[in-house]
Amino acid sequence: MRLLIRLGPVALIVLAWELVARVGWVNPNVFPPVTDIVARWLTVFLDGRIYAPLWETLWRALAGLAAAIAVGVPLGLLMGRTRWAEWFFAPLFSFGFPLPKIALIPLYVHWFGLFSLSKVMLIFTDCLFPIVLFTYHGARGLSPVYLWSAQSRGTGRLRMFWRVVLPLSLASIYDGIQVAVVVAVLVAVVSEMVSGGGGLGELMIRAYRFGDVRTAFAALVTISLIGYFLYRIAQWLRGILLHWHVTEA
Amino acid sequence: MKMLPLALLVGAWQAAASAGLLPASVLPSFWEVAASLGGMLRSGEILPHTAASFGRAGAGFALGVAGGVVLGLLMARVRAVERAIEPILLLIYPVPKPALIPLFMVWLGIGDFSKIAVIALACLVPVVIAAYNGARSVDDMLIWSARARGTAQGRLLWRVVLPSALPQIAAGVRTAIAVAIIVLVSSEFISAETGLGYLIFSYGGVGADDAMLAVVIYLAVLGYALDRAYLAGLRRLMSWHAFAH
Repeated sequence: MRLLIRLGPVALIVLAWELVARVGWVNPNVFPPVTDIVARWLTVFLDGRIYAPLWETLWRALAGLAAAIAVGVPLGLLMGRTRWAEWFFAPLFSFGFPLPKIALIPLYVHWFGLFSLSKVMLIFTDCLFPIVLFTYHGARGLSPVYLWSAQSRGTGRLRMFWRVVLPLSLASIYDGIQVAVVVAVLVAVVSEMVSGGGGLGELMIRAYRFGDVRTAFAALVTISLIGYFLYRIAQWLRGILLHWHVTEA
Repeated sequence: MKMLPLALLVGAWQAAASAGLLPASVLPSFWEVAASLGGMLRSGEILPHTAASFGRAGAGFALGVAGGVVLGLLMARVRAVERAIEPILLLIYPVPKPALIPLFMVWLGIGDFSKIAVIALACLVPVVIAAYNGARSVDDMLIWSARARGTAQGRLLWRVVLPSALPQIAAGVRTAIAVAIIVLVSSEFISAETGLGYLIFSYGGVGADDAMLAVVIYLAVLGYALDRAYLAGLRRLMSWHAFAH
């Protein structure tokens, strides 16, 4: 019942939208009724048209994200615990973080071609910034007590990173990954819209060119669901991996 | 001193290009890029594109921030508004906003309106959430004491809730600046005949890498300057607020 009250306003909007489109106050090819969009969404799933672009977008986003984690976490930890790395990299990453990396699409196409590689590389570049910065802040703010106690037992440098610094920084690494997940899907879709090469972004642009608003909507819903579920999966993994962590109450 | 690593990086870029390690077909030298930017500034070629981009981003940003502050404050103080807006916000939140560009182009055409509308929506979301959270955490004592003096609801929002929520709103607005530029560039890549995104895209398309990079760097510097200017302005405006000390 409470859910019903919460969803009431949405239901009202959907109902109004449906009515306006059905009665014919607006052109249903420009502003299709909700039921049409849902029907199209189901159709593209049932006849399998959506799977190829869905998979393209998903693997590009995940590959770029994984590469950014693989490079960004060690780099962020290094920056948090060594002077020279902090001196060199911290200003570069905090300078670059708010800049629109999307503007590099033409350069990346020139370097890495029109297809997946340029997109994965751009997703990697864009995701690297939040992951490095969050990891760095986590590793820098560690309580030195843990480090002293490990050092006093003669823990080596490498082992220290692996067994002490990394686990203690995990909470903020995860904050960075949560941000990067959203970025990955966004950059995947935008780069597909701009330079083609398959994927849900290209599907949307093609649907737009053919005036097929229903398919454009179906693609939009799919993109949003990917973003939402990747975010929830990241949250869920965080809960599992970090249940022991002090900051996780 | 903080810019030294950046200068080193640029120096290494130029050195590699001068030494012939970096062919111009891969990356033109920093010097060529700088010269190209200088030429565009001197000839004034880049200025109308700058104006077009900032007109779009500025209009969308202003609409998004104004709407976001009003909605966020109302949501925090008026139950019915909260009930109505919160579920809609939850629906819009996970949508990557640039993905709305094709749909808005169908509804509002490929001109400025669709770009401004998507930028406004993209800026609205972080500001609504910031204003809502900020206004909800207002100290109840302030509200009670204002009420006790018979302050009306509208005046309460304007004189008590808004000022207390300002630090959080300010953070949301800072996010909105970055978001506006991202959506602007995306929309100009997809369809435009003016603007910095268009300029980057068309120079990239004809293989004029030095000019393309010149505009990318110009955009980055402008974005950075905007962020700095915003922070500096904020520090002045908010000097009365506890968070500034």
